[in-house]
Order: sequence, then structure tokens, then C-alpha cells
Amino acid sequence: MIALVVLDTVLVLVLAVLVAGLLRGYATVLNRLHQLDSGGAPAAGPPFQTVASVPEPDAHRIQGRQEWAPAHDVAGVSLHGEIVSARTVGVEHDTVLAFLSSTCEGCTGFWHELAQPEVLAFPDGTRLLVVTKGPEAESPPALAELCPPGVDVVMSSEAWTEFEVPGSPYVVITDGRTGRIKGEGSGTSFSQIGGLIQQATQDSQPLKRFAKPPADREREEDVDRVLLRAGIGPSDPSLYQPAVTRAAELDEP
Amino acid sequence: MTSLVPAPKLAGHGFAVQLPPRWEGRIYRRAVSSAAGSSAAGSSAAGSSAAGSSAAGSSALPRTPGRHPAPLPGTSGWIGERAFPVLHLANFALPASRGDYGSGAVEAMTAGHIFIALLEFGEDCLGSALFEPAGLPRVRAQQFNPNGLQRRIAGQSGFQHFCTENGRPMCLYVVLGSHRQARALAGEVNALLDRIEVAR
Repeated sequence: MIALVVLDTVLVLVLAVLVAGLLRGYATVLNRLHQLDSGGAPAAGPPFQTVASVPEPDAHRIQGRQEWAPAHDVAGVSLHGEIVSARTVGVEHDTVLAFLSSTCEGCTGFWHELAQPEVLAFPDGTRLLVVTKGPEAESPPALAELCPPGVDVVMSSEAWTEFEVPGSPYVVITDGRTGRIKGEGSGTSFSQIGGLIQQATQDSQPLKRFAKPPADREREEDVDRVLLRAGIGPSDPSLYQPAVTRAAELDEP
Repeated sequence: MTSLVPAPKLAGHGFAVQLPPRWEGRIYRRAVSSAAGSSAAGSSAAGSSAAGSSAAGSSALPRTPGRHPAPLPGTSGWIGERAFPVLHLANFALPASRGDYGSGAVEAMTAGHIFIALLEFGEDCLGSALFEPAGLPRVRAQQFNPNGLQRRIAGQSGFQHFCTENGRPMCLYVVLGSHRQARALAGEVNALLDRIEVAR
């Protein structure tokens, strides 16, 4: 009986040592994983950069945005004396600003088409604002005769100056998110400048993404695996050396 | 996206608002026919040919029934109508054709949108029980009610309050694009109300 108790105690002790060893092993593994994960803090790699010919992988990147001139909010009065402050900057929607006049012959087509909403094929969510010069330079009664009801007209000489409008008719398309002008030009009617509006809208769309061919994806995975095995991670400075230096190194015997 | 230019200030008819980013506004006083204004009848109604009957709730003063959206300034009202200033603020694009209580605009609202209307009423309203509260209120999420809308629209909720600010009888009417987001949107409404100045 005593022998059985002693044997049982020994077995329990051995099992306890085994469990303790296993727990210690797990703790070591977890500790190593934690260290590999930079101690829980996000890895501080170098600033993101791409080769000149490779576009930034930003879903909201807009082509040419740096070249676009800044847009401006529009403040003025309506044909009925309403005091207006309309946003074109920092908003979700784009705005088509049609700078028109009651006296310019070239504006006739625009006024005519404003009465035909079916002709105005603006992209969804786009706002149309007709901007004339202020009451000091325009005749509200004359404009009221030309302008169909329901059209948003803002009389603002300030807007003409801010957008540097060369003359009427002139159309400016603003991008609400970036607060910049993404298209401008003149024409004889909204139909004629429809191409400009469509192009400006398409330019502001995020770059289309295509599915990567499986062979390319596998090749990239292989390269990544080899680099990681060699201790070169995504933030390794050796990946970001100037191309000239790398080429010079390769040329060395 | 923020603009580097200073925030625009909307001012006129004794109202002034420094507009925060994304917000725009309009101030108007509806033109009335020459015949209008000659009669004292109906003079207590706000400066507006009303976008229909009373706005939210039942406490609004009687208004002439109208069609939606009501014609904007420039059209004449009913005989005897007196026009008073109306301020509209919104964090979305306000359409040209709107009723005083936002008909024509609220239909375009989405979840995060807010519409604020501040309508002045006639001097004969001064001292009445309805306009007794002093000063523009600050709103709480619990005060918004889907049944508090001029016309119920799924998901939206409204709030209406009558008060007197600087000796001018006013009606504040607020529409939220989403009743579920009332708590967050009420804070934004109050931030706007802090910016509204009403001249005496």
C-alpha cells in the first residue's frame, strides 16, 4: 500500500514537471512572437515611397490633383434677393459652376438648356450653380426672364474674380472633396461641354484595380519569402536605396 | 478636407452666422404682392408663405395651406401676408426651391445631414404664451421625434421650438437626417446655434 502511494506521488510530481515545462515553452514562444511584433507597438518603417513610375496605392488618389487650382465657396444673392452662401469646398458633392450673363449671346444655349433638365446630364450627386455677376453689373429682371424656375442662380462678382473667369459663358467643375478645380472651359451649351464634365468626373475616380494574375502573385510571394528568410523585412532600409547607388554597386567587380 | 480660407459669414435681415466647414446657408425675406401687407389679417404668420401648414407638432400658428415645395422668395403670398426673415442652414447642398420649413430640401437629406430653419414672426406675437421662452434653445437628443416633422420621412426626426430672441419672436425648426444618430447630431446642431447672432 505504501509502495502504491509512493508511486502515485512520484507520477504526480513527474506530470507536474512536464506541465510546468510545457507552460514555460508556451511562454517562451509567446514572448518571442511579441518581440517579433515590435512589442505590440506598430513597426516604425521609413516613409512610404514608390518608384517614380509606380502610382501610390491610394484608393482616393486623384490624378493631377496637385496641378488643380483651388476652388472657392460662392457667396452672393439670388435673383430674388436671397442671401446665399454655397459650399463647393470640403463637401461630398462636386459642383458645376456655370458663369453666365444676361447680355452675352454665347450664353443663349446655356439658358435654353437650363429649361430642359433632361438635357443636363450631370453625374449623380453633382450640383449645378449658375453664377452671374452681382446686381451692380447685372439686371435681375433680365436674368429672371432668361432663367427657368428652380435653377439655382447666385449673383456674385466676387466669385467671378476668385475663379478668374475670363468671360461668359464659362464653366468650372469643382471637386468637393479636394476643394480644387478639376475642369474648366467654355462652349456654346451644356451639351457641348458635356465631354469636359464627363472627363473631369472620370479623372477624379479612383484608379481601377485589376485582379493580379496568379503567376505574378506567386512570384511576389516567393520573393517576399526569400527576403524574409534573409532577414530583410518591409521596413529594411536596403530596400529604399537610390537606384543610382544600387546600379553602381552592381557594376563594381 | 478643410479649407484654408476663413469661414464664410452669412449675414442679413438681422441674422448673422459664421458658417463652420461643410455648412452653408441662405437668408431671405419673401416678397409679397402689393395687395399683401395691407390687411392686418394673418399678420402673425411668419414671413413665409409657408411650406404647408404648421411645421412639426401642433403648436405652430395657423398657416395658409400650400403645396410642396412652396415657391421661394419672389412669389407673392396671400392677401394680407406680412413677410419676415427666414434663415436656413444645412450641412448639405440646399436646393434653390425650398419651403420655409425645408420642404424640397429635407427630401434630399441622408443620415448625417441636418437642416435648421429659424423663422421670425410678427410683433403681434410678442408676449404671447407660445413665444414666452427667452433666447434660442440648445437641443437634446431626446427632444427629437420622428413625429415632430412637418411631413414624416422615414428615418428622420424633427424638433420645433418657439421663443423670443432679442425682442424678435422666432420659431426654430430642426430636422435630423437620422433619428438614430440624434445624440451625435444634436451636438452639431448646438454648435451651430452657438454661432447664430440675432440683432435686436
